[in-house]
Amino acid sequence: MKEEGKHKKAKKYGMVINLDECTGCGACMVACMAENNVPFKEDESNKLDSIAWMRVYKLTNGKPYPEAEICYLPRPCMHCEGEHGHAPCVSVCPATATDYNHETGIVSQIYTRCFGCRYCMVACPYHARYFNWWDPVWPEESTKYLSPNVSPRMRGVVEKCSFCFHRYQLAMDKAYLEGRTVLEEDEYQTSCAQACPAGAITFGDLNNPEHKVHQLAKPDNKHGGRPGNPNVFRLLERLGTNPKVYYMSSREWVRQAGDNYINNEDLAKNYRH
Amino acid sequence: MSTQDDKAKEVSADGAAGPIILFFILGLAASLVFGWIIFPKLLYSQKKQPIDFNHVLHVEAVEEGCESCHFFREDGSFSGIPKLEQCVDCHEEPQGEDPNEIKFVEDYVANGREVPWLVYARQPDCVFFSHAAHVKKGEMDCGTCHGHIGESEHSRVYEENRITGYSRDIWGKNISGLKKHTWERMKMDDCAECHTTKEIKTDVETLPWPINWLPRPYEKQTGNQARVKTVKEACFVCHK
Amino acid sequence: MKIGRRSFLSFVIGGAAGTAITPLPWKLMDDSSIWSQNWPWTPVPPDGEYSQSNSVCTLCPGGCGITVRKVDDRVVKIEGMKGHPVNDGGLCLMGLSGLQLLYGPTRVKTPLKRVGKRGEGKWEKISWDEAISEVAKKLADIRSNGGSHTVGSIVDSENGTVPNLFKRFLTTYGSPNFMTMPSIQDSYAMTLQVMQGVSAQVGFDAENADFILSFGSGIIDGWGSPVRMFKANSAWKANGKKVVQIEPRLSNTAAKSDKWIPINPGTEAALALGLANIIISNSLDSKKISQSTGFDSFKKLVQNEYGTDKVSKITGINSATIVSLAKNFARASKPLAICGKGQGSIPGSLNEFMAVHALNALVGNINKEGGVWAVTDTEYINWPKPEMDSIAENGMQKERIDGAGSEYPHTKSLLNRLAEVINSGDGSLEALFVSGANPLYSMPGSKAIKNAFDNIPFIVSFSSYMDETASNADLILPNHVYLERYEDVTTPAGLSKPIVGLTRPVVKPQFNTKHVGDVVMLIAKALGGGMADAFSWESYEACLKETLGVKWDILVEKGFEFNGDKCVLEGDFNFYPDAMKSLSDFSPVSIEGSAISYPLLLIPYDTIRLANGYIGDPPFAIKTVEDTVLKGKNSCVEINPKTGKELGLTEGRYASLLTPRGKAKVKVHLYEGIMPGIVALPRGLGHTAYDNYLAGKGCNFNELIGSTEDPVSGFDEAWGIRARLTKV
Repeated sequence: MKEEGKHKKAKKYGMVINLDECTGCGACMVACMAENNVPFKEDESNKLDSIAWMRVYKLTNGKPYPEAEICYLPRPCMHCEGEHGHAPCVSVCPATATDYNHETGIVSQIYTRCFGCRYCMVACPYHARYFNWWDPVWPEESTKYLSPNVSPRMRGVVEKCSFCFHRYQLAMDKAYLEGRTVLEEDEYQTSCAQACPAGAITFGDLNNPEHKVHQLAKPDNKHGGRPGNPNVFRLLERLGTNPKVYYMSSREWVRQAGDNYINNEDLAKNYRH
Repeated sequence: MSTQDDKAKEVSADGAAGPIILFFILGLAASLVFGWIIFPKLLYSQKKQPIDFNHVLHVEAVEEGCESCHFFREDGSFSGIPKLEQCVDCHEEPQGEDPNEIKFVEDYVANGREVPWLVYARQPDCVFFSHAAHVKKGEMDCGTCHGHIGESEHSRVYEENRITGYSRDIWGKNISGLKKHTWERMKMDDCAECHTTKEIKTDVETLPWPINWLPRPYEKQTGNQARVKTVKEACFVCHK
Repeated sequence: MKIGRRSFLSFVIGGAAGTAITPLPWKLMDDSSIWSQNWPWTPVPPDGEYSQSNSVCTLCPGGCGITVRKVDDRVVKIEGMKGHPVNDGGLCLMGLSGLQLLYGPTRVKTPLKRVGKRGEGKWEKISWDEAISEVAKKLADIRSNGGSHTVGSIVDSENGTVPNLFKRFLTTYGSPNFMTMPSIQDSYAMTLQVMQGVSAQVGFDAENADFILSFGSGIIDGWGSPVRMFKANSAWKANGKKVVQIEPRLSNTAAKSDKWIPINPGTEAALALGLANIIISNSLDSKKISQSTGFDSFKKLVQNEYGTDKVSKITGINSATIVSLAKNFARASKPLAICGKGQGSIPGSLNEFMAVHALNALVGNINKEGGVWAVTDTEYINWPKPEMDSIAENGMQKERIDGAGSEYPHTKSLLNRLAEVINSGDGSLEALFVSGANPLYSMPGSKAIKNAFDNIPFIVSFSSYMDETASNADLILPNHVYLERYEDVTTPAGLSKPIVGLTRPVVKPQFNTKHVGDVVMLIAKALGGGMADAFSWESYEACLKETLGVKWDILVEKGFEFNGDKCVLEGDFNFYPDAMKSLSDFSPVSIEGSAISYPLLLIPYDTIRLANGYIGDPPFAIKTVEDTVLKGKNSCVEINPKTGKELGLTEGRYASLLTPRGKAKVKVHLYEGIMPGIVALPRGLGHTAYDNYLAGKGCNFNELIGSTEDPVSGFDEAWGIRARLTKV
């Protein structure tokens, strides 16, 4: 622990999603698809093969009418840190097609490197990874809106959310040109965070106390990044994946829906927020 | 049975090893000729640039050297090969009598058509290359990767790999993949050459590690993304 | 020397050895692995110079500012415009997928003339000159035969220069039949008319309200200006403001509100009046307001007819909830009541609107911060009055085909009546223009509309997309899409500050299309005479520039401008206009079908992920639709598990949904968030046109329902229809 603080801290980009504000409108999903050249097919109602780097799940409290409640939960890639960068998907990849970058905390996915074994999809507890079962087809003129910043994928590879890493690259280019090496908070924002009409998604450097994400989540890096804010939780916290996407909700049942519990489990004893 | 025996006798009578060695050498020679000389010719198709461009002439005419035409835009992106818009600044009308210039003005400027230049150094779509990081942050010369292109009086032939569609410059002119200068090849290994050997100032944060003499498995780099190959964690830096 | 087997083998071995020391195998291995990673058919988007331009999105009446990102001359992304007063950086999923409408497969790329039967999909490409002269010839024939009043047009709204060009065209041609797509704006405008005596649009100062009582309005399901409402909703959450949602289904809005109160559908007016009664009885009303006209009659009405117990029985909400709701509402410092169900595409019952408006007046929030505002219509269109010849004069004297202004004096347009008038033979149209609207899909009773359209001999669509109306037209004169054209955008729905925005071309027209404004002018010029004089502008752009005057430069620079301050239109508040007399004996909003043959109630629901107007869902948007809403080719209906049990229907089962108007095969989704006895079906599915990404998916709610005329206004008030759900 002594070494901490000796050097300049690495960045750890992450997200805090306010589920009280999220309206489930789906703008984040489309903002992501449009930014990242995500393909589409004629029938997308089979959600198992429908590629959505960001997917909004609908949670229910399981109570009968009229006590029923619903809550929406947007799910990007969690960019798990695990312990020292041992993200579940990274450690199983036999092709080095996905890796954990300690400098930004982003888990990459290199399509040309991937040979489609799908181990990572099995390993990912969040279903954040998608397989290209078919070659993507863009109808007629539609290739015209493809962004040159993200390469279109081919059949047989896995893809997932990159926290719009290309935006980081482009922002760094601008910074280098201006003689800087550090980015401002608003210089690098993901497409979903930028588009969210409700302003429910906050993105930034979890290690930087000046960034809003740090202030909201209050991550405790000594304990695997556990949130210090009692309303903040992470998905499947107890797996130890150390994800970088935090969720915020004032509703108890929503916070509990983020993990699995044994009936009548003593939460206070086994699980500390 | 008898015929076989006869043949065997024949061969041994002729001095068995001679033709075999001869044919071995013939095979060897033929394959060497094919592999080193014919194969590269078959592998690459030859394309002429739409306009023969004289770099020397232009470098003399402009004030700021390479950056007059190949510059950084305000957003940090690199302009690469100039667009018609920039050329028009000087070439609204032909300035001389060079047939190439006249062709350029008549075919492209007059019709507002972009010149379909063939880019020798074009990397595949999966590569993200930041000119800003290398030229501005790393303070490298254009020539390190692009060679003395500014001293050329004619556009050389563009050779395209028939299998991959890549420019020959990526693999390098030498079909064996060997090079004498840094700018002769542009494969990932060539990037790595610099990134592994070059002493690049970097801030490293080491994580807690109990035994001092054991090598530390995880080193966090914080300052830059220079050491591409040393730590298996930087794929996204150059790939998209 | 003989070449024997051994020599050959020796040659081969020599060759192999030699090959191994040439680069050939290694190079081929490298190249083939590269080839297999970068299939030649995987597109490589060309890089180039990045730039941005601002414009205004017109996909819905929301009027959000957009910033498009371009690479050279390709638009690669649409984003919300930072600092825009409506959306400040945010954008909804339709706006974000706009490029699929620009470059997408559903565009009409050139003027088309029908060659097969209507709706058969056989078209002939024609030139713009041919197209325009064909329309002009047809119109000249109709006019010379004395039928000028049998030409009509349907446009999306009555605001802005393009609808006004249509109106001017019809006026100078000699037809009063300028029709607009209905919405709750119509009901609100009429409410303001009868209760405040002002001709205005309604605006809500939603951001500043601190207690929002919504009678089924889909605040975060696309009501009003959607992104603005999302932002207001987040601000309410952040500042602890309360939202109460009253509707029979747990919609997204209900789920995100502080309290969801399910109500028997169609009884919202009774609840509003019941609340008014409690407020008056407890003297919680604004004292100033009791001086208003008709207050005593109103008081008498609510006290005699809308006692809490009676209202509780009508609405199905228990008395204690009603009382506490009334008190909380009245005690809030800036309470605001809103109505208009879902996204507000059906005008609804005028009684409901008046009751809710009275509730607002009662707590004194008319033209107040956090309250309801009467906003004047745009006033920058001051074109010189056109010269009208005798045919035009005569034509304009004729009654409108839909009865607006005659049978229903306060209305301007009653498109919902058009189908019945034509189908019953009470009136006919010889030619119809449709622009920025898709009535064949989006009007309730779409089957009746289709029959009516079959009786109109000449239909011209100006649609940019191959929508249902366009594919049933005789001639399609495709408009540029919003990213390719100039157009003024007037105050977005429900905004309390009048604002005008400018849609600007951010990319060159991609196909052989023409601005609808230009086409209208060209047709007028081809018709000649007074009509040509009335459209003396050189082009639409010139017309717009001249119309906006000094505003033009500001709009080009900024993209929007506040069109004056909040236009306070006080008027004398009348609590008890004549129109309200029918409320003295409450009956729920009428619904079609008998309860015996159709034991269930079918209601539509809106979600922001499904567009149900002129624009159909682009591929990205339809991709986000959940598999409990659309599965394969079938829409899913929501029913309460109790209802499911009674009908023997389980999750995911196919069922047949039958209403007096139509039938559909649906999948069952059991949902605890819906009142037993009710079936809910999403709007926005069941398209038959557009592209393969949208057509043939699910069923169109509008085919299962008809239009029900509101007895007071003539608007469509149908909120649902009786239905039967059976196993298949």
